Amino acid sequence: MSITEKLKKFGHKETGVRYFCLQTIRFKKLLENARGVLDLFADGREKLQGEYIFDRHYVVSLIDSVLDRLKMMVYDAAVLVPARGEALFAAYDVHKQTARKLIVPGRAASAGSDFDDPEYQLLAEALQWFNGTAMPTDQTVMGFIKQTFFYVTTGLPAPDILSWGKLSEHIDVLTVGRGLYVIDLWKDVQSLPAHKRTLADFDQTPLRHLLMAASLPAEPVWIAAVSEYQMSLQSIRPDFGFRLETLASGYEPSDFIFIFTDNVTLLDKILPPGFHIESTDFGQFAWSLDLSAKTIEDTLMNIGRKLFDESLRRS
Amino acid sequence: MSKSLTVLLLDDEPIVGRRLKPALDKIGCQVEVFEDPRQAVARIDEKEFDIVVTDIRMEGLDGIQVLEHVQQKWPRTKVIMITGYAKMDLAREAMGKGVFDFIAKPFRPDDLRQIIARAAEALGMTIDVEPVNGNSGKE
Repeated sequence: MSITEKLKKFGHKETGVRYFCLQTIRFKKLLENARGVLDLFADGREKLQGEYIFDRHYVVSLIDSVLDRLKMMVYDAAVLVPARGEALFAAYDVHKQTARKLIVPGRAASAGSDFDDPEYQLLAEALQWFNGTAMPTDQTVMGFIKQTFFYVTTGLPAPDILSWGKLSEHIDVLTVGRGLYVIDLWKDVQSLPAHKRTLADFDQTPLRHLLMAASLPAEPVWIAAVSEYQMSLQSIRPDFGFRLETLASGYEPSDFIFIFTDNVTLLDKILPPGFHIESTDFGQFAWSLDLSAKTIEDTLMNIGRKLFDESLRRS
Repeated sequence: MSKSLTVLLLDDEPIVGRRLKPALDKIGCQVEVFEDPRQAVARIDEKEFDIVVTDIRMEGLDGIQVLEHVQQKWPRTKVIMITGYAKMDLAREAMGKGVFDFIAKPFRPDDLRQIIARAAEALGMTIDVEPVNGNSGKE
């Protein structure tokens, strides 16, 4: 039985919590798949720059793996924002055709080839398709990933907590401090808590550090869905799109912070150095991968202080 | 003056010989490169190499057959197999037949140099995996 099917069996069906949790879990899958693509890019770049011995099969496998991950990403995105599904799958098909043309046997290398070995040339061309500066951004895989995130982050409405039916009766028990709702991603989906909780009730590393130096706003304008090491923080203000996803397990290769905001300058103000920031006309994405436990704790504390100050200032 | 390590390098992908030969030359190996397994076997019939490095899957004659041929003709010679994706079945078979070691693509020349150094040691020879011209190992 899949996670989704398990969750569907749980109670309090119409509170909105269940849907919110499912959406949060699906968004995490989307991030995992996007990260998988980035890891494949990194592997290809390492092979190209590192004087590796590889054969054509390696490059073909790399391209196939990117397509597989992209397809999973598109599926996640289509589940989250069904209205965009058709456009996303159509764009995916275009990328699939681009990839197939790259690996046609006997295909001549592009003019001005930088490499003597055809395997290296093929990998260089694949990397151009992934994220090359020689290609128009909208034709690269990275451009497609950004487009997908744009569709998802703008297509998902901010959680409207007051419309969550019975949950409105439980708002107090889900409120920590005054400006932040906290939902236990796995427990609250089954049954809502019977008594008012405080932050101490959540054994939650990322949230603890995020709030360590923060001043929360008086009005509840944030919601955090948490499990032991994961946190999904979202603004619930319709006029302020913000989403932070993090995993702080202490296992460096998997820990990360991902942020999207529809504000085009916010991240420059609140993020410490070390983040990869992609600025677009519709907002900013940022991520930092492979973080040590100490770095992730310090970073979340830093972000929390500045983020909530900034949102207070804007409110 | 110590004897140079003789290496026969066999892979039907030209990139392997083209990139590995200079890397092995630099650490003082005498390297002969072949892309055709039948020509390589004919050369093995003529000459005892210290080490044979062969791809595991090739057209006409695979790495296992080359391994068997070497072992029959020159039992002292160490055979190192280059494997690619999805060739673990062949790799397991080679393991049972006494191959010295494996190296999986993609790999760096230095990774192979380390294995060759161990093979040389097993033959009672020594080899310095640092390039003889003092370069850092980048080809």
